[in-house]
Amino acid sequence: MGASAALDYDAELMLRVKDGDEASFGLLLDKYRASVSHFLYRMVQDQGVSEELAQEVFLRVYKSRETYEPAAKFTTWLFRIATHLALNWLRDEKNERAQERLDQSTEDGPAREVADRAATVEQQMVYEVKVEEVRCAVAALPDKQRAAVLMHKYEEMEYSQIAKVLSCSESAVKSLLFRAYETLRVRLAHMA
Amino acid sequence: MNCPIKSQENTDWLLEYSAGRLDSEHAALMARHLETCPECARIVHAQQRVWNALSQWEPEPVSADFDRRLYRKIDAQPASWIDRLFRPLRPFWRPVVPLAAACLLIVAGVVLHTPRASLNPADSQVRVENTSAEQVERTLDDMQMLRELAVTPAPEESTSKSM
Repeated sequence: MGASAALDYDAELMLRVKDGDEASFGLLLDKYRASVSHFLYRMVQDQGVSEELAQEVFLRVYKSRETYEPAAKFTTWLFRIATHLALNWLRDEKNERAQERLDQSTEDGPAREVADRAATVEQQMVYEVKVEEVRCAVAALPDKQRAAVLMHKYEEMEYSQIAKVLSCSESAVKSLLFRAYETLRVRLAHMA
Repeated sequence: MNCPIKSQENTDWLLEYSAGRLDSEHAALMARHLETCPECARIVHAQQRVWNALSQWEPEPVSADFDRRLYRKIDAQPASWIDRLFRPLRPFWRPVVPLAAACLLIVAGVVLHTPRASLNPADSQVRVENTSAEQVERTLDDMQMLRELAVTPAPEESTSKSM
């Protein structure tokens, strides 16, 4: 019920954008800026790159307004663009700079945000180490499994919607997620 | 219920149950199964740990100038002159289009159902046939006249020859 109402509202906003209503584009941007950016950040694990990709997502949405047809849920379309861009970036960068950045940020990461938080240094370090382990465990997943986990966990998408985003069957998504979580269960078994 | 692990059916229930997203009916079934299945109970426990660990991973906030940079890119996009010309009118197009389509249909209906003499193909064919017969007859007369003129010598020519 709620999902269908959301579908109508977002699609209606996009149709208004198609009719030249710039304010509706602003509303969609407000609504999905954070979720798209955070999804991309968790996918590529680089703040600068993720923001550039998020900008590209919204730019593509804007450029596609003329041909937009509400055939699927708006978020399915939006995350399909985001996933496509992220997978392409990962594919292009995987053998070169991505691995270097990952290694570098693994070494530098824990100390990066310590000064920004109010908690004690010890608590902060424990937190950072935990997050770093999670980040590395997610980064080690195959790209499609990673995308499926992020959409399932953080975007709370249904299996059918993830299947549409990844252009595969619902049963394939179930199997993809089960395998991905199985890997994470092993890698993060020591975490309380 | 069948054990999701042994039967490899409904393995997604384990994930959804661990995440607290399974509906109450299925959650009750799963809870009863977990009491008797240590393997599934172990997976659910480990999955809940993973779920909690993932929840701790908060991304950095989006930059404050995100929108400004995006709109700058949008403004830098080349727009066609047609797009620029008609953009202010776009909000008004949508209500006008069905009205225009209805008017067009009415006009087409009126045009198609109005009887017209000139549109009768049989009449026009007869007229064409009549016209072409007259033209042929007149042409033949003209040719006959020209032939006669060519055969009869001019009076001046005959006079000069005799002299």
